[in-house]
Amino acid sequence: MKAKTMHPGAGGIPPEAQAVLNQIETGKSKYKRNMAIAFAVLIVFMITTLIVLGLDFKFMVKWLPFILAGSGYTFLVAFLAITLACILAVVGALGRLSTNPIFNSIATSYVSLIRGTPLLVQVYMWYLALPQIGKALEAYGIPGIQRLFTLPAVPAGILALGVCYGAYMTETVRAGIQSIKIGQTEAAKALGMTKTQTMKRIIFPQALRVIIPPVSNEFIAMIKDSSLVSLMGVWELSYRAIKVGRRHFQSLEMLIMVAFIYWIMCMVLQFVQEKIEKHMARGDRRTS
Amino acid sequence: MMTNSSPMVKITNVHKVFAGKLHVLCGIDLEVQKGETVVILGASGSGKSTLLRCINFLEEPTAGTIEVDGTAINAGEDDKLRENHILEIRKKTGMCFQSFNLFPHMTALENIIEGPITVLGQKKKQAVLYAEELLDWVGLTEKRDEHPSRLSGGQQQRVAIARSLAMKPKVMLFDEPTSALDPELVGEVVEVMERLAKEGMTIIAVTHELHFARDVADRVLIMDEGVWVEEGTPEKIFNNPDKERTRQFLAHIL
Repeated sequence: MKAKTMHPGAGGIPPEAQAVLNQIETGKSKYKRNMAIAFAVLIVFMITTLIVLGLDFKFMVKWLPFILAGSGYTFLVAFLAITLACILAVVGALGRLSTNPIFNSIATSYVSLIRGTPLLVQVYMWYLALPQIGKALEAYGIPGIQRLFTLPAVPAGILALGVCYGAYMTETVRAGIQSIKIGQTEAAKALGMTKTQTMKRIIFPQALRVIIPPVSNEFIAMIKDSSLVSLMGVWELSYRAIKVGRRHFQSLEMLIMVAFIYWIMCMVLQFVQEKIEKHMARGDRRTS
Repeated sequence: MMTNSSPMVKITNVHKVFAGKLHVLCGIDLEVQKGETVVILGASGSGKSTLLRCINFLEEPTAGTIEVDGTAINAGEDDKLRENHILEIRKKTGMCFQSFNLFPHMTALENIIEGPITVLGQKKKQAVLYAEELLDWVGLTEKRDEHPSRLSGGQQQRVAIARSLAMKPKVMLFDEPTSALDPELVGEVVEVMERLAKEGMTIIAVTHELHFARDVADRVLIMDEGVWVEEGTPEKIFNNPDKERTRQFLAHIL
């Protein structure tokens, strides 16, 4: 029997294949439509709940500018802390991967200690306990150290968050670096690159692409954990909301509002993360 | 082809022991003259790739001496200049890997100029000019700005060869450069290797491309369990080998 042959790319799509394609297409649009309906129902449900609860929307609108004014502190703390955390994470990861015993053991204990203690305790440690350490050191004859170790609330908060997140991110960065195939290092070595050049030019740029999603994740978590600085009396978002809510006995309104503000901030960040990921994925077949 | 001047590559009594017990290379000697093309054949696990990787110190030889273009390093010798000598040897040798190992975050052109700029400190303009020449030489001018993921295996390996050549190496090492390729793509890579050999490059190749060994090599060496079994011209090795082991091996792969 003679096989039916066709020119490559000729002949069009047979009707039965077209039917399958159409079916897939309708399936997709159906899914999109159902998804939109589900979201709409959810939003309506949420708004109805808020109305049924008898929220004082006028009160919320009235205090909104005051609360929003606190977002400056939230962003300041979060941005500076994440910057510190990124630096610590890169240094920490290089330490964890180092063959130098001193460097390696310092990095390993840093990660272990910080990950093994609650952030809340660490925040108080920087704010309340550090001056005491300064005092003890001053007693041993280091002049001026107590004043240096007595931190205002915002710097203490930035240090606490940065050092804590730095420890978690150390592991993220280390995993990212280790995920790059050994062949990349070998190719760089074969070209005559030094270890530093290999890390800077070849390994790190590739690891960066791997660690962007988890690092954005950390950043989003950080935005919310920055509310911990309110413990030290910094007038940031949640501190303002809680204060106002308590004073006027309308905590529900204030808490819902501040929750929404955090949510919106995180959605914006997530959007930025997606943009960065798309940008970083250039040259990656999986997405092109 | 043989000259009396000092050899380009001189390997003396090299041993490699993995994990304290696996004796992969057992006292290997090899001299390769300038401009010579040497092909190493052998069953998998015979140690041929390890030998190649010892030449540019991707593997540290356990014992013996490696000398490339006058730079010699003794295994186990631990002086301050050792790191520098290794870098020097690596600058003099280009290497092509079975899995290409192009840098995926860079375009073809960026892959090629990376070594000259970062390692040799060349100006970008100068590096780009030479890289474009090399791209033309391997026939991939139109792929200049593509990332490796957009290239076929054969194209990736040709870019990898250009990347090595951009360093103006004295010796090229090929570690099974066609083993990961679809059969239809092998030819384009072998053709580039052939041209390289004809232009006088010193080449040490581990490959199963018998066509390359037969037509291009000046000398063929057979390795088995970390020692040389036999060496000679391709005619002799393929048509009239002395050793039974060579005959068995060739019968197996032909």
